[in-house]
Amino acid sequence: MRLGRLACFVALVLQVTVASAIAQTFVFGAQGEPVQLDPAVITDGISGRITRQIYDGLVKYKGATTEVEPSLAQSWEVSPDGKVWTFTLRRNVKFHDGTPFDAKAVVWNFERWWKTSHPQHDNQVKAGQTFEYWEGQFGGFDDKSIVTKVEATGSHTLRVTLKDPQAPFLANLAMFVFDIASPAAVEKWGTEFGKHPVGTGAYKFVEWKPNQEVVLEANPDYWGVKPKVKRVVVRNIKDNSQRLGALKAGEIHGMEGLNPDDVAVVRRDPNLQVLLRPTNTTGYIAFNYKVKEFQDKRVRQAFAYAINRGAIVDALYGGTGMAATQFQPPPLWGYNKDVKGYEYSPAKAQDLLKEAGLSGGLSTITWDDGKKEPLVFWYMSRSRPYFPSPKEIGEAMAVDLAKVGIKAQLQTAEWAVYLDKRKNGQMPLYMLGWTGDNGDPDNFLCYFFCSPGVSREGFYANQPLADVLLRAQKLTNQAERAKLYRQAEQILHDDAGRLFIANNQPPLAFAKKVKGYVTHPTGSEYFNTVELQ
Amino acid sequence: MTGYAIRRGLTVIPVLVGVSLLVFSFVHLIPGDPALTMLGERATPEKVTEVRARLGLDRPLWEQYLLYVRKVVHGDLGVSIVRGDPVATDLWRRFPATVELAGAAMILATVIGVPLGVVCAVRRNSLIDSLARVGALTGVSMPIFWLGLVLAWIFGVQLGLLPTGFRLDSESTFKPVTNFVILDALVQRQWAVLGDALRHLILPAVALATIPLAVITRMTRASLLEELTRDYIRTARAKGLSQLAVIVRHGLGNALLPVLTVIGLQTGRLLAGAILTETIFSWPGIGLWVYESIESRDYAIVQGATLFIAVIVVVVNLATDLLYAVADPRIKYS
Repeated sequence: MRLGRLACFVALVLQVTVASAIAQTFVFGAQGEPVQLDPAVITDGISGRITRQIYDGLVKYKGATTEVEPSLAQSWEVSPDGKVWTFTLRRNVKFHDGTPFDAKAVVWNFERWWKTSHPQHDNQVKAGQTFEYWEGQFGGFDDKSIVTKVEATGSHTLRVTLKDPQAPFLANLAMFVFDIASPAAVEKWGTEFGKHPVGTGAYKFVEWKPNQEVVLEANPDYWGVKPKVKRVVVRNIKDNSQRLGALKAGEIHGMEGLNPDDVAVVRRDPNLQVLLRPTNTTGYIAFNYKVKEFQDKRVRQAFAYAINRGAIVDALYGGTGMAATQFQPPPLWGYNKDVKGYEYSPAKAQDLLKEAGLSGGLSTITWDDGKKEPLVFWYMSRSRPYFPSPKEIGEAMAVDLAKVGIKAQLQTAEWAVYLDKRKNGQMPLYMLGWTGDNGDPDNFLCYFFCSPGVSREGFYANQPLADVLLRAQKLTNQAERAKLYRQAEQILHDDAGRLFIANNQPPLAFAKKVKGYVTHPTGSEYFNTVELQ
Repeated sequence: MTGYAIRRGLTVIPVLVGVSLLVFSFVHLIPGDPALTMLGERATPEKVTEVRARLGLDRPLWEQYLLYVRKVVHGDLGVSIVRGDPVATDLWRRFPATVELAGAAMILATVIGVPLGVVCAVRRNSLIDSLARVGALTGVSMPIFWLGLVLAWIFGVQLGLLPTGFRLDSESTFKPVTNFVILDALVQRQWAVLGDALRHLILPAVALATIPLAVITRMTRASLLEELTRDYIRTARAKGLSQLAVIVRHGLGNALLPVLTVIGLQTGRLLAGAILTETIFSWPGIGLWVYESIESRDYAIVQGATLFIAVIVVVVNLATDLLYAVADPRIKYS
């Protein structure tokens, strides 16, 4: 009898031990393998999700917004001409390898990103890695860069001097690619640093099992919100359905990459929950302006009135989409509330076509050189957050267009070919979209519309629009910039330069017991606030 | 025999040259610019040119091929375009997982398939034969990815009996030395880890074994049926030998020869099936690796792994041919 009781007790203890061990590990199901864990040379969100836990940047996004708040920099000031930024850095912070975080370490990081002669820049490039985001966000390397000087003016003060004012400077620095790495660790590991990451973040790197998982453990000395879960495992589960299976089986606690059809399934499951990432992505239809018919604004507007965006979003986004009214998604501060988008009105579409001399509808197009060919509408062969099921969405839009007499043949191509054709301006009408990098309106609008007439944008040329955007880029006052971006959206809308179809809020699924996961438009989400209850 | 083995071995060389040519050229035949695919929607023309130059894609084809062969002969399969790691090293790191999975599937297929085939042949047209034949037909025609999902859903999600993927639990801190997890667990006498590893192996092995199992069952059945109609079997029976002795000692020995060939041929299919099975079950072997590399157009990995798999298939088939002589004393190679 005593033995029986003892056995019961042991069993109970074991059970409790196992249960508490499980509660200490947060397992997240990712869609793929990280490329590497050196933030400076990566561009993909899968790697970025992990590096965000290991490193901190000078600044970070505030909660679920794209506003910037202090992180490793406690405060900053900008000179009146917008060219000199002075940061005061947080004291008593150490990298995971025990080396101190100070202004010298930050200068070292900047120089590594920026100067091609820096040994830890040069060896990365020779190993085939590029500091792509630095080049993209800060104008290039060495003399080409907008950054002209970075200096430590004290042990914990830093001064960054720019050639010209750069409005999205702080928003850029908040991106995961500009998180600060331990100089000592980078020098120790060289090009292998991406496999031995060392930062100041809430979690320390433990192990990376190729094609399987990355294991992290809580950093007890973290300066910020102390991690609530001791261990984090990010598992690589390629297949969306299988990942959901693992979540339902309790093998993982959270996941990204939920199929639109599965959103309702997860919502019905009493043990699971859906969290939506605030939208930061817009799917659109682009016109090729070498097509004569598309040079007529009335024709473009007819397209805009013909497509029933609301119905498409309702039917094909699993309840996570929104009809887009403009290029910027609603959470961006340059979003123009007054731009309502084109309502669904087949009658107006037909009237406009008639006015444009196309009363018989449109099924053949004329290229600039006089060549005529049937109108082909290209849909993407690959699912993207902005168009989760591109074929079905393309078909639905083609049906809408057919109702007003625009008869387009649907066609697709392998993804690489598709991008190639788009780059060379070979598709008359095509679907594509954009996901924002840093929450700044410039990142959405300027990439597309600051250089009028380029082939990759279907040769769209709108100089007044470009002028507004370039002006906004030079200002540092956010309110003034916002005004200009709102104006830009209005110009784009009035011209029906491009048709904005939908914004999507990518869904994430979690076990009910997961609390404190804050979704972010850029996908930069921190695990230190996550709790398992 | 040795002479034959050498001659047979030499025939492998043109096959391998052919394979290397195919593997090299398919990358250039599929549509799309690899540099552009790697860089995605945001590629600038300068960047594309730079990446093309870095990958050597701007050189003439023949030069690219010769360079490729020279490196392969030296055991250099290039470096991953995306991650920059040597392909050969990564290949060896992932190979044990695939061997473990494919080995388990092959054992499962043979251990079940051969006896099942025998039973079907002996009890020809009985209920069990009909059921097994229907089962074999289903097995052959069932897509692995579908079966894998169904198995994981039933046994993992609904019944909660087995894990839906991976080689070990996420709580496990076990560090394999050779990457053969089962072997490592045995050597280190980590019985809990061994149990965990075996539990993780069951579903993917079953999914992967289905097609070979069906083929082996059908082949054994057909081959044994043919043998059982031969004169020497009638003689053996006339001598008063028991049914078991007639089948096992006389019939099966001869009937297994074609089955051996089939098992050899199935290796290629197993490795191809491993790409789907590993992807479904997040099994960190060569299959999953190749799948991810195809997606990211990491040509170096796709080329390296394809060449490696082709070599394995060639070697296994060579070994099967040579085993023939051992299994059938009538065969003399001269």
